[in-house]
Amino acid sequence: MDWHFLGWLAVLLYLGAEALSIVSLLTPRGRGFASALLVAGLLLQFVDLQLRARALGSVPYRTLAGSMSLFGWLLGVAYLALLFRHRERAIGPFLIPFIVLFSAIGLLIPFHASTPRPGTQGVVFALHVTLAILGYAAFTLSFVLSLLYLIQSRQIRRAKTGVLFSRLPALEVIGRMNRTAVTIGLSSLSVSVLLGAAWARKVWSGVVDAKLLFAVFTLLVYGFLLWMDRRGWKGQRVALLSIGGFGLVIFSYTFVNLFLSRAHTFR
Amino acid sequence: MTAPNEARLLVLGWNFRTAAESVRERVAFTTEEVQEGLRGLVGQGLVSESVIVSTCHRSEIYGVARDDGVGEAVTRYVSEWRGLDASELAGAGFHRVGEDAARHLFRVAAGLDSMALGESEVLGQVRQALLVAREAGATRTVLHRLFEWALAAGKRVRSETEIGMHPLSIPAIGFELAAKVFGDLSERTILVLGAGETGSLFARHAGEAGVSDLRIANRTAERAAALVERTGGRAVSWETVASQLSEADVVVGTTSSPVPVVRREDVEAAMRHRRGKPIFFLDLAVPRDIEASVAEVYNVFLHGVNDLEEVADENRRRRAREVPRAETILEHELQKFHAWLGNLSVVPTVTDLRRRIEELRDAELARAPAAERERLKEFADALAARMLHEPLRRLKSESDPVKKLDRAEAVRHLFDLDRE
Repeated sequence: MDWHFLGWLAVLLYLGAEALSIVSLLTPRGRGFASALLVAGLLLQFVDLQLRARALGSVPYRTLAGSMSLFGWLLGVAYLALLFRHRERAIGPFLIPFIVLFSAIGLLIPFHASTPRPGTQGVVFALHVTLAILGYAAFTLSFVLSLLYLIQSRQIRRAKTGVLFSRLPALEVIGRMNRTAVTIGLSSLSVSVLLGAAWARKVWSGVVDAKLLFAVFTLLVYGFLLWMDRRGWKGQRVALLSIGGFGLVIFSYTFVNLFLSRAHTFR
Repeated sequence: MTAPNEARLLVLGWNFRTAAESVRERVAFTTEEVQEGLRGLVGQGLVSESVIVSTCHRSEIYGVARDDGVGEAVTRYVSEWRGLDASELAGAGFHRVGEDAARHLFRVAAGLDSMALGESEVLGQVRQALLVAREAGATRTVLHRLFEWALAAGKRVRSETEIGMHPLSIPAIGFELAAKVFGDLSERTILVLGAGETGSLFARHAGEAGVSDLRIANRTAERAAALVERTGGRAVSWETVASQLSEADVVVGTTSSPVPVVRREDVEAAMRHRRGKPIFFLDLAVPRDIEASVAEVYNVFLHGVNDLEEVADENRRRRAREVPRAETILEHELQKFHAWLGNLSVVPTVTDLRRRIEELRDAELARAPAAERERLKEFADALAARMLHEPLRRLKSESDPVKKLDRAEAVRHLFDLDRE
């Protein structure tokens, strides 16, 4: 069995989980097996990532394809963790499409087993990349939660008590989930940046590049968000800030990654 | 559908649709009166069994009778008992027999016949009516089964449709909105301004919802104290309302004050203490208790009575949309009930009994040596025919339909004919 097959099978399972979670969102007291399908998909994708790693002779996410795949996978894991902690299933239908999207991009981008450049092996490097991607996945989660916060808040203000109103969690709960997501994102990205800086000093001559600058900027934005959340910005403003922060994440991941950074790209 | 000499279900009723308040209050029965009525109806032999459902919106007498004409006799009985004119009583009520009577009870139990469509209180009232009748010894097989079936169907309708899901009362809607801001309201602080009718409605609802910190403020402190006696919570002084805002999560305005009680600057000051925690205002007062511009303050939610009325209307429409689905479920259950009831008459009982005996015979024959089976079968058939002849003749020749039904039921029970 080659890895493409497993990867696509995982994507198929995610689509199934999405369908089931939409059904359970719309039917009264509906409950699906969405999370079971999600878990099965994550397991398959994990095997897929392992196979890629063997083919590369390195961590699979040294390449852009692998990193996208890992992004999707970690997003799924982060969502499961959140589901386990807050028991709110209504987020699924809005989040799973992102898991599908990133995992599918990871499969569609051509995958070459290029020779590893210096410094792209070893535990520190592996941790650095994994934690960075986990951080970005957590910020994606925060982005989705913030959108849902704005939607729910609007429905409450307009006294629109439809299906979404009744199925989406209370603002307080969404806010708490968002706080969890941002905290995870902030801590993993911080550790990743520190590890990366230490590693770069060892294998490269310099440390500073565009990607690092953007990562630090992202950290500052989300740190500010958490701080203001405590100081009374709790609610809509925090949601808007988180959506803005996600724009920055996308920008770092695409534009900065492809055009501004040289040695530091996924290749 | 039913042969003339078979027992008939019937229901006679007066409800908010058919009867004026003046008639309804004369036929509203207390539990003791229900027992008295049941004893009279069954004792005089008008019906073989009976259940009376009596609530503030309806009084309904269910019975199993020998023929369709009993409806008039029951009406006469009630008119004499309650001292009402029989023709007036008949004109203000409704009368259904057979399948229509069963359908009516199913609809009542499902809340389809209620003033507030889909309300679930009626389920408890129907169950209570059955219990009272059973204690009075007024129910037997048919009504007992009919009521159990109707209760199960009513529950099924509520769990499989949304007919009971969207709240219709203003306090319930207000708290539903607030719960989407805060999550569980039981750990929150709720402040009710005003101890009048609306205020006590909200206070009672908060108490029922398990709100642990309920505060009531009223211009005259005595009335707040009196309300707290009934609903729980604690009375707080009118002068502290502005400072209460830094702790209260949900504030309900119900006073008759001519000027706003809660002003924007009070709310702005309170928000500085709340560190981003939202406040949810419900303003049911006319004129307003809460300044409209309060809604512009960050993390403040404000709804007036019109918003809540609109949701109530929308929820009524949502429940109404579920009626066809509910009716499909009821018809399905009704069919099953009628299949059971149909089996309770003589012909299917005789058929089932014969089949049962053949099953037993074949089971025994299977254990006999093959050579002797033919002879043994003849013997078994002859014996069975002799044994069944007299009981079946008596069962068929019974002229009283109610007794016939009872005997068919006894046979079904003794020979275990209704097992799956």
